[in-house]
Amino acid sequence: MGVTIIQQFPMKENRTGAQIIEFLTKRVNALGAKQCGTFLVDCETYASIPQLGAQRTLHVFHNSEQPASVFAILDNGTGKTVPVVADALFDLLLLKMSSVYTSKKSKVEIRGPRFELNDFVIKIGAININHNVKGIIVEAEYRPCVVFGLCWDMLREFLQGFLGSCVSNIPPHYFQNRMNDIFQPLDTIQQYLDHITIYRKATGILQQYNTNTT
Amino acid sequence: MELNPMQVALNTVRTLRLELMQLIIEIGEGVKDDGSQTESKDNRYMYSMNEMVGKLGLHMRDLEQVVGSLSSPPGAMLLYNTSFLTQESTSDRQALYTPLVSSHKWLDKVHKFSSNAVQILSQNSLKKSYYNSSSNKKKRQQSSLHNISPQAVDVLLTNIDRMFPEMSITITRPCASNVVLLVGLSRVLQAIISFKGVMIEWVIVKGFNEPINPNSLQQELWQESRYYVFRKITDHANAAMLHFSSPTLPDLSVRSFMTWLNSYLILFNSVCKSCGNRLLNAYPPTWRDLRSLDTYHYECKP
Repeated sequence: MGVTIIQQFPMKENRTGAQIIEFLTKRVNALGAKQCGTFLVDCETYASIPQLGAQRTLHVFHNSEQPASVFAILDNGTGKTVPVVADALFDLLLLKMSSVYTSKKSKVEIRGPRFELNDFVIKIGAININHNVKGIIVEAEYRPCVVFGLCWDMLREFLQGFLGSCVSNIPPHYFQNRMNDIFQPLDTIQQYLDHITIYRKATGILQQYNTNTT
Repeated sequence: MELNPMQVALNTVRTLRLELMQLIIEIGEGVKDDGSQTESKDNRYMYSMNEMVGKLGLHMRDLEQVVGSLSSPPGAMLLYNTSFLTQESTSDRQALYTPLVSSHKWLDKVHKFSSNAVQILSQNSLKKSYYNSSSNKKKRQQSSLHNISPQAVDVLLTNIDRMFPEMSITITRPCASNVVLLVGLSRVLQAIISFKGVMIEWVIVKGFNEPINPNSLQQELWQESRYYVFRKITDHANAAMLHFSSPTLPDLSVRSFMTWLNSYLILFNSVCKSCGNRLLNAYPPTWRDLRSLDTYHYECKP
């Protein structure tokens, strides 16, 4: 597990998600990358029932890169989060807890092709919220390195190489206090959550894109 | 001809043993009946006995003198690796010690000749590589490369460990007295270095997050890294090891190699000196200039 950065790619008004993925696939192939299957990250959100007091939100993630694990992030509404990494049995536990945590029925899925280029892994995925394409997310992983601070500049150069100027020169907000920590799979999930939250908040604007494009 | 005092002492012991043997034989045979007068027979026997005992006493004094002039041997001789020959169980290999000693003698001769040759050749101005060493260092008595005490190697390696704060060195000896070194370089890479005496024999470079079992480093030596970048660095490291290798200054070659390896501390956040980019063909700058330790892509190296 190496350092992973997640970057969103802006939707163009006259293009569908599939077209953008195809466009980026061509660029990645031109770099010499080979496609190695597909990937899928899904997120389901649960809310605690009002009788429990202040509402807590529970985000449950699955990542095809770590197929045996379930990631759960509990948000108590005050900005404090509790992450849990568990076995796949956690899903069954959630069914038992359905009386306390009810599903919000807003499933988010990010799926698309997965590429390998030497030690880099590139994933280009369309983000689907309730089966509507909301945007394009690009994930780049550099497997030999485990500390974000050591390889951020290199990853930035790599992403800018095929995504262009949409990649910021400033490190992602999530990593500001974690520059010298050892990277863990949970860090990838946290980044996905940050991006999903942005897309959910900005639904109105993006909805316009989708009505034009799909 | 001046004989070695040890040789003289051994010769004296030999004569002494010979005389004593003759005396005992004489005694064993008793008085010989050779047909002459009976009274003089006993006398003659007594006379010859006297003479022999007198000679024995003389030689005994000689031996005491020679032994007195001998100096005591300088402590116990260390056999290092050859002492493991005693553990050999097959009978046809138990006689290996003598040929081993003679082959070591030959090696020492070759070593002496080659260092003389280096000295003569270094006066020649036609130099093709930038191998350079000052002549006063070369005059220093060289220890043999193949039989170095484990303590000396330990001292050298712990000194290197102290030179680089970011480098952690673990010394293991899985096979007899030869060192296999596990080097951790910050949170960038790990290297396994196999030594023969103080000469580096093999290097394997792996990622920080690749599992290495410190108890079976011998097996780990044969398993290359799962990442392309570290496989490339393994190749570079072996090339650098050969470049730095110097039979006349073995400890300097190890120190230079470790300095070179330490320059990989900035593997992931360095810029190529030649093209100014971080990535080329999806590789970071993996090549390090052997003298200046400048960072280059392998394709960009000067």
